[in-house]
Amino acid sequence: MTFLNAILLAGAAAFLIPLIIHLLNKRKVITMRWGAMHLLHEVIRQRKRKMKIEQLLLLITRIAIPIVLALCLARPVLTALQSLGLGSSSLIVMLDDSFSMRAPAAQTTLPGGTVMEQARQDMQTMLTDLPKGSSAQVILSGGSPRKLLDQATTALDLVPKKLSDVPSMSGPLSANDAFQSATSALKDAPNAAREVLIVSDFQEADWKAIADGAALPALENLAKQEPKPQITFYRVGSDLAENLSIASADISALVATESQPVGLRVRIKNHGKRPWQDVAVHLEADGARLRTARVSLAPEGEAVLSFTHAFDKVGDHSISVRLEGDSFADDNAFHSIVQVRNQLNVLLIEGNPGKDPLSGATDFLDIALTPHTTAAATLKDLIRTKKIDARKLREEDLRQQEVIILADVQRLQDRAMKDIDKMVKDGVGLLIFAGPECDLDWYNREFYRKGEGLYPSAIKGYARADSDATPARILMQRFTHPAALYFNDARGGRLQDAEFRHWFEFTTQGDKVQRIFNLDRNVPLMVEKKHGRGRVIAAATTANAEWSNLPLQPFFVPLMQRLTTYLATEGSAPAWQLVGTPIRLNIAKDLLNAEYTLRDPTGQTQKLTPRKEGENILLESPPIAQPGIFQLTRTGSDKPTFHAFNVDGTESNLKALSTADIQKIATRHEASFANNLQSYQKLDRTRRHGSELWQPLLIALLALLFFEVLLQQRIAKG
Amino acid sequence: MATLSDILQAEDITSLQHLQLFARTVVEGFTTGHHASPHKGFSVEFRQHRPYVQGDEIRRLDWKIFGRTDRFYIREFDEETNLRATIVLDASGSMNYRGQKGVLKFDYARKLAASLAYLLMSQQDAVGLVTFDSKVRDIIPCRTKISHLHLMLEAMVRATPGKDTSLAPVIESLAQRLKRRGLVILISDFFDDPAALLQSIGVLRKKGHEVIALQLWDRDEIDFPFGNWARFENLENDDDFLLLDPATIRQRYLEVQKKFAEQLKDGFRKHQVDYLSLPTDESHSAALRSYLALRMR
Repeated sequence: MTFLNAILLAGAAAFLIPLIIHLLNKRKVITMRWGAMHLLHEVIRQRKRKMKIEQLLLLITRIAIPIVLALCLARPVLTALQSLGLGSSSLIVMLDDSFSMRAPAAQTTLPGGTVMEQARQDMQTMLTDLPKGSSAQVILSGGSPRKLLDQATTALDLVPKKLSDVPSMSGPLSANDAFQSATSALKDAPNAAREVLIVSDFQEADWKAIADGAALPALENLAKQEPKPQITFYRVGSDLAENLSIASADISALVATESQPVGLRVRIKNHGKRPWQDVAVHLEADGARLRTARVSLAPEGEAVLSFTHAFDKVGDHSISVRLEGDSFADDNAFHSIVQVRNQLNVLLIEGNPGKDPLSGATDFLDIALTPHTTAAATLKDLIRTKKIDARKLREEDLRQQEVIILADVQRLQDRAMKDIDKMVKDGVGLLIFAGPECDLDWYNREFYRKGEGLYPSAIKGYARADSDATPARILMQRFTHPAALYFNDARGGRLQDAEFRHWFEFTTQGDKVQRIFNLDRNVPLMVEKKHGRGRVIAAATTANAEWSNLPLQPFFVPLMQRLTTYLATEGSAPAWQLVGTPIRLNIAKDLLNAEYTLRDPTGQTQKLTPRKEGENILLESPPIAQPGIFQLTRTGSDKPTFHAFNVDGTESNLKALSTADIQKIATRHEASFANNLQSYQKLDRTRRHGSELWQPLLIALLALLFFEVLLQQRIAKG
Repeated sequence: MATLSDILQAEDITSLQHLQLFARTVVEGFTTGHHASPHKGFSVEFRQHRPYVQGDEIRRLDWKIFGRTDRFYIREFDEETNLRATIVLDASGSMNYRGQKGVLKFDYARKLAASLAYLLMSQQDAVGLVTFDSKVRDIIPCRTKISHLHLMLEAMVRATPGKDTSLAPVIESLAQRLKRRGLVILISDFFDDPAALLQSIGVLRKKGHEVIALQLWDRDEIDFPFGNWARFENLENDDDFLLLDPATIRQRYLEVQKKFAEQLKDGFRKHQVDYLSLPTDESHSAALRSYLALRMR
C-alpha cells in the first residue's frame, strides 16, 4: 500500500486525544455516599458485563475515528489489489505517427528529442502506471491506420520496445479511419474496463475541420460501445513554429531521352511567421550538386523555383532539390527518379484512317507524341510512333513496341488480341480510345470478358450531350494518378476547358479498376486496370476531335505524353513514392529465385527476395521509413534501379490546434483532455478511484461516526 | 429539654397553625373530634332507621315509630371520635444522604414529623412516635397533652440515622404493638424490598389502621445528575460500593427509579394507603398542603 499524501498520516496521532480524555476521566473519580444503592445495583445487575464491552467499544470507536480520518486524507492506494489484477483495464492507444511527430519536442519536456520520442516516453510511464493484468494495443494512425501488435498484449514493456522501431514517417492522420481501427481493436480488448487514448500533436491540418464541427462518426460510434470506453485526448507538442518545406515538386517528364531537358518545378513554403531571405535551394542529380538558387520567403508565403537538367546517359537517374537553413530538416528535400531512354516505341492502331489531314483516329495522337519530329525541329523526341490500320495489323508490327494505342478500332482479330494480351501481361502498356466505329457488343463480350479480358470496363452504350445542352467537362478535383499529378497545378494546363459531346458510358468498375479522370456527369473519362505486369487505360472519348475538343487543348500534348510514358514505365519504379509505402515491383517470372539488395540513403542494406503472387512474381520491401533515394540491385547484375521516397507535404505545417479547440473536440465527444503527463496522471488517478482506498475509508469514517453516536445513545439509555 | 423550635423554624410553625388535618376514613375513638367513626352508638348524629333483628339492644328501639306503626325499628347514629396517630420515622442509613442542594434527608423527615405532630396535637388528637432503622429504636405512645409533644421532639432530636433499613419487620412488629386502631403515618424513603414492605403494610391494614405513606426523595435520587466518573459508597454498608460513569447509566437509572416508585405507589393504592412522594427540595408546608388537599377530596 502506498499513500499519495503520506504526511497527513501524522494526523492519526490524534487517536491519543480520546484515549487521554478517557484515562483522565477515570483518574478524576469522585466519591459519593449514596443511599439508593439498591437502584444502582438493579441497573448494574443486568448491564455490568454489557457495559464494559460497550465502554470498550466506544473507546475503540473514538480512537479509530481520527486514525481512519488521517488514512482517508493520506489517500492510500491499495497496490495489493493491483497485483491481484483487480482494476485492470484494456488500453487502446491511437498514436499519431505522422511525419509532423518528428518535429523537435518542447524544450520543457524533452530537450533534444522529437515529439514522437516524448510521446513514447510518456506512454511508457502511462503503461507502467496501468494496474497489473491490463492489456495494451497501439494503433499507428498516420496514413493508413494499422496495429502495432497483432493482438493486445499484457506484456506492457513490449509496447515501448516495439514503438522504438516506429519511424514516424507516415502521412497525415485520418482521424475517422483511425477511430474505426480503434473501435475494431476495442472489440478484442480482454478487460471490461476500456480506455482509448489519442496521442497526437493535433496538427491543425489534420484536426481543424473536426474542431470546426465536422462530423467524426467513427468516434461517435466508439463512444457508444458497451461497456463505454474512457476516451482521452493527449497532446504532445512542439515549440517549433518556424518551418520551411518543399510543399510540392512537379517533374515535366517521367521518361526522357538523352540530352532532353527535364523540367522540375518546386514550390517552397514558409509555414512560420518570420520572413526568410536568400534561402539556398540546391539541385542535385545522381547525388552530385549541380547548382544553387536563392529564394526569399514572406511569412506564411511561398515561392516557386524551376530547374531544368538534361541527362547524358541512358538509364535511371535521381534528381533532388534540397533547401538549407531550417531546423526541421526532414521535409527540406524532394527526390525523384528520371528514366532516360534512347527511344520509346509506340504503335498507333487506328480503326478509321482518315483521308484528310487530322481526320484519322490517331492523327492528333501522332503529333502529340512526336511534336519535334512533326515540327521538323532539331530536338529529339523520346517517343517514336508507328501508325497502322487495324485491319492490316500483322504479328511483326507488334514486336519491340512498348506502348500500343488503339483508337476507334472496331474489333481486333483473335490472333492480334491474343498477342496483345500476352504483351500486356509481360509489361507492355495499352491505351484504348473510343470511337464511333467500335463494336460495343464485341468490346463487352470479347474485349471486356466480364473483367477477365483486356478492356478495363463494360460499356453500357454511347452517351451524348445534346447540341443545346452544356457539354460534359473534366471534373476538377485533386488527381492522385501518377500520370495526372502534373495537372493538379493550374500551370500544367486547364483540363476543364476540354468539352465532350459524346462518350462511352462505362458501367462496371471493380476494385482492380482505378479512375484517372471523371466527367462532371459523374462518369469516368479514363479508367485504368492492371493486367499481368502491364496496365491498360481506356478512354471514353476519341483521340481525335470527333467527340470532343480534347485534342485541341494545349494540355493534350503533355497529357498524352504522360499517359504514354506512364504506361511504358509501368514495369519499372514510379518517379517517387510516399514514405511509409513499400517498394513493389512486378518482375519477370525467371527471376523468382533471384536475390536483391536494397540500399537506403544512409548506406544500410537489406536483402529482398521475390515471391509469387497469383500469376505474377512480386518483389516487395518492408514499408520505407525515410525519405531519399534507395538503390535496388539484383545479385549478379551491375545495373541498379533507383527508387525515390518523399514525405507528405501537408505534414510540414506544424501549426497545432489550440488547447481550447482540442478541449472543444473532447467535450463534444464526452472525452477528456490532458495537455501533459501530470494532468493525464491526475486524470487517470481520478478515474481509478476503485484502486484508491479513500472512498471506502470515507464510508468507514461516516459509519464510525454514526456508530459512535448510536453507541453513546444506547449507553446513555442504559 | 428539646423544644419545637429546635426542629422547626418560626415561619414553619406559623404556617402550620392554620392547617387542619382531617382523616378521610373513620378511626375508632371516644373523644369528640372531627373524625367520623363507622361505629353506631349514642351519639348526636342520626344516621338511619332499620328493622329490628334479634339480638339488637332494646334501648336502641325507636318507640315513637312503634307507637305509630306497631313495628320495631332501630335508630342508628354516627359518633365522632378522637384520632390516634402514630408517626413512624425512618432513621436508617439511607436517610443520611445529603444531596447537592445541601439538604439532609433525615433532617427533612424529622421536620416533617414534627410538623405533623404539632398539627395533630393542635387538633386535640393523640399522637405517638416510633423511630426505627433495622429495628424499632424508640416508641412514644399516643397522648393528647401538649407536653407530650416535647417528648416526641426529644426522641426525634436524639435519633441519628446509621444502620441499614429493615422496614417490613418493623411495621409487622408495630402492627402487633398498636392495640387500638388509628392512623399510622410512615415517613421514609422506603429503600427496602417493595414486596416485603407491602406485605407488612397489608398486615397493618388488616388490623384496621389507616396508613399514610410519605416517601422522601432527594433531588439527586430523582434526576441522577452526575457527570464524572464516581465511586458510589453505600450509606448503609461500608463494604458495598460501585465505580462507574454515571452519564452512561443515567437513563437506565431513571427508568429503574421510576419503576420502583410506581411499584410502591401501585402497592399502596392496592392496600388503600395514601401515598405521597416528597422531594426534599420542596418546603414542608407545601408538601403537607398538597397532601391534605388529596385527603379532603
